[in-house]
Parts: sequence; structure tokens; C-alpha cells
Amino acid sequence: MFTGTLALLVQHLKKLPGIGNKSARRMAMHLIRMNKAEAIALAESIKTAVEKYRNCSVCNLLSEDDPCQFCRAPNRRDDLLCIVENTQDVYLIEETNEFNGRYFVLSNLLSPIDGIGPDQINFPALCEYLRQHQVKEIILALNPSAEGESTINFLAAELATEIGKITRLSTGIPFGGDIEYTTSITLGNALKRRYKVNDQ
Amino acid sequence: MLRNFRNFSDVEFDFYKSGALISGENGTGKTNLLEAISFFAFGKSFRNCHDTDLINFSSDHLHIRGEFVKNEHILQFESGIEKNRKKISLNGSRINRTSNLYKFIKTVYFSPEDVEFLSGAPVFRRNFLDQALSQYSFSYLELLRRYSHILKQRNILLKTEYENAIKKSWDKQLINYGSKLIDCRLKYLDSFIPRLQKNYQCISANRENLSLKYRYSFPRRESESLSSDLEEYLEEIAGQEKETGHTLAGPHLDDLQFEIDNHPVRSFASQGQKRSTAISARLVQAEMIRVKDSETPILMFDDVLADLDKIRTRNIIKLLHSDHQIFIASPNAAIYKDFKLKEIKLELLP
Ligand SMILES: [Zn+2]
Repeated sequence: MFTGTLALLVQHLKKLPGIGNKSARRMAMHLIRMNKAEAIALAESIKTAVEKYRNCSVCNLLSEDDPCQFCRAPNRRDDLLCIVENTQDVYLIEETNEFNGRYFVLSNLLSPIDGIGPDQINFPALCEYLRQHQVKEIILALNPSAEGESTINFLAAELATEIGKITRLSTGIPFGGDIEYTTSITLGNALKRRYKVNDQ
Repeated sequence: MLRNFRNFSDVEFDFYKSGALISGENGTGKTNLLEAISFFAFGKSFRNCHDTDLINFSSDHLHIRGEFVKNEHILQFESGIEKNRKKISLNGSRINRTSNLYKFIKTVYFSPEDVEFLSGAPVFRRNFLDQALSQYSFSYLELLRRYSHILKQRNILLKTEYENAIKKSWDKQLINYGSKLIDCRLKYLDSFIPRLQKNYQCISANRENLSLKYRYSFPRRESESLSSDLEEYLEEIAGQEKETGHTLAGPHLDDLQFEIDNHPVRSFASQGQKRSTAISARLVQAEMIRVKDSETPILMFDDVLADLDKIRTRNIIKLLHSDHQIFIASPNAAIYKDFKLKEIKLELLP
């Protein structure tokens, strides 16, 4: 049995996605055995990144700078806003080279089971964003899961009067699939073939 | 090969292409053997029980292996259950979702409890229909799973202080997937019902007429679409739903009504009529698969013919397609002589 600081380390590692007891133990053993300087550099880089990254005060993206690089970029379209669930979705969409507007990160999807309502998906901040920016089209790039659909329905209905065009990704994404797991080619096609939410 | 599966501690069986007549006294595990065969079709028991209930009481794990020949290909299934972990593999590769198994081996189980779905609560009839359809069409299963999830979310929402805009975001999905689900059921029933009538007439030797109606949990007008009818009704009962914290209309509350000569089977039919109706319905379940996928599911009769007269039994045998592999479990092998199946006699352990 692992005890003391090693047991604590295992406990912390287990909080990482996809890391079970077995992998956490293996990683912990590896860390205490490896080159001290390298291990400490790893710990330091975790510490710095975690401390430096915060939510962009404009778009809510996790970023080292505030406002983030996407909000600051001068050559991006202001009238086109892509709404995503997570920061990593932004990078997936960037890889497609199909989008040159701004982003807004919800951080969550509506889910009564998890007690997630409008406040938890940053709806008030989104409204504030829309008051301050002249957005003509919103792309709802959200998972086609039940929670994603609910969020799409909610946002489309709430914003319909203010925003002329509200679109969602075409279903190039498999039923029940995650945006995260689709290749950038399919995601690019889904972006190109987006359609108006109210036309569905 | 069954190891620590129910009452079997370590045993192997070999079956003919035609199937087997499994005989033996009560308690020898006849149903358990059928359950093991069916396990490879569904990745779980046909009884409403937990996976760990399948493990022999003297052990903490089970291991079963089954080899099936389908279209001249060998399908080798293996499964182990230990504590709350279940592993299933097909030809050496792991199957992650049990529902991915559905398309390989299809079985239809004629349960002694099938009579319950005719006389019991609506949920039994919905389960019959949902199970038959999930086996028939993989997209139905996906649709059903999605709908159940939406329903769960919506019911929790109804129990909280919600904004109307949030409720609407779930209503829209409930209506959309709910009406798709009903639509699939109706299409299935369109070809199911005439076959059911034919089978029943054959079993009852043309003396009785069986019919089946789909019962909606909301007012249905022919002039309107399913979705607008459901939508309108949900609006009407919004107050009631808020009070009870439950979704009060939709496919999860719809029902099937079986009628013999225009009398509801549920309240008027005799035990024999109910038995014949249930068997007719199971036979159509198998027939629908055969017609769609041109494959003949394995049929498993769990002593369901015992309380029928000789004429009805003989008529049922006439209805069976010759390509089915058939398993019959009964303490009384003599009744099933006409099936001409090889007998496997299970013995009580000393
Ligand atoms: Zn930003």
C-alpha cells in the first residue's frame, strides 16, 4: 500500500481524466524515480500554467492573457460569433481554417440533472457580450447531445430577436458523437454546411 | 461452456442446428440454460435481474463462452462477470456497449411470464414493443435511448424552479424524438398487426379474430401531425406536470391494446387465449427479423405450450419456419415429441 506523500500524489493524479488507480500509481512511481530536476520542472510548469490561465473577461476562453488572443486579434470578423462549450473546441475549430470570427465559451451545457441552468452556461455574460459587439451571425458549435440540443434550442429562442442569423453545425458529426473526437476535416465540413437553427 | 453461471459450475453443451429439447425436473436449470444462450444476444439476462445475480452463489465470478455459426461464419462470444465488472468479447475483440451485440445473434424468448404483458400494466406491453423494435432496428434503440435521457432531464427540471425558456428547450426535443419514436412504432405495427392476425387465426383454427391497436397517451387527431398533437397537449397539461413533477404524455406512457373479437384481451380473454396471443406476438417478432434481415432468430420456448390443447400446439408447430434453431425447456418432454428435437436431460445435482 502507498502511504504518506506518495498516497497523496496518487490521489491527485487520479483526478486527471482517464487516469484510474493503476495508472495513477504507475505515474507516481515514475515521478519519484525520475531525474529530480526534470520532475520539479514538470511540477513548476503545472503550477505556472494553472496560475497564469484564467477566463478571458470578454469571451470566457481559458487564456494566459486577458483579453485573449482571439478577442485581441485585429483581423477577425466582429460580426460573426462562434459559441462553443469548451476552450479546447476553439482550438479544434481553429485547426479547420474555416472560421475567422470571434468566439464565446459557455463552459457548460444546460443539464437539469447536474443543476446547470442559464447562469452556469454564462448566459448573462453572453448577453453582455452581445450588447457590446455588433454580431450579425451566431454559430452554435455545440455537441448534438441532448444537453447540447437543449442549449441550442434555448439560445436560439432567447437570441432570435436580436441576432439576424443563428446557425448550427451540419450533422457531419455522428449521432451522439463529441465534437472533440471528430477529425478537423469533418468539423470543417460541418462548419461550411451549417444551417439556420429555425429551419430545422 | 458455462462456468459458475447460475446453477452450472462447469459444463459444456453441444447443440444441433435444429436446436434441443431441454428436459429435467424443476430446479435443474432449464431456464438458466436458455438464459445463457440469450445472454450472447443481449449482453444481459432476459430476466429483470442484475448481472451479479447470474453468478453461482458459491463463487464471485462467472465465465461463459458460446460459439455460433451464422452465414457460415463462426462467432465466438466470451463473457466474464466479476463484482460489478462485465467483459464481453466477440472473436477476441472487446465489445464496449452491450447494445452493439444486438446485431450479431438474435433470439426470441417465449417466456411463461409473457401472459403478464397481456394482463399486466401498460409498461409490460411497452417493454415488449421496445425490445422487439430495438432488436429489429438499431436506430430505434438509439432513438429510445435518446428519448429516455431527455425524459429523465425533463422530469428533473419539472421538479425544480425553472424558467419557461429552459422548459421549452427540453419540450422541443421531447416532442421531436417522442414523435419519431411513435412513428417508428406505428410503421413496425403496420406490418406486425396483419402477421399477428394471420398467426392467431391459424393457431385458433380460424375461430377467433385478434386485433391490436396503438393507444396514445394524448389526444390524437388524424388531421394533425403527431408532433403538433403532442405539443398542444403538453401545453394544456403544463400546470399538472409542474404539480406532479412528471412528464404526463409521450411514447413512454402509450399502450397497446390487444382485442379478441373486439373484446380487450386484458380483461376478457381466457388463459389459453392469452397464451396463444403472446405466442403469436413472439412469432411475429421473429418473423419481422427474418423478413428484414433474412436471418432466422433462435427461438426459445420456456415451457409455454404446456397449458395449450393439442390442436393449438400442432398449429403453432405448423407456423414455425424450418430454418429456426429451436430450444424448448420443459419438465415434460413427451408433450413436445412433435418438434423432433434432440433431448438434453438435465439432472439434479446430488
Ligand atoms: Zn477572449
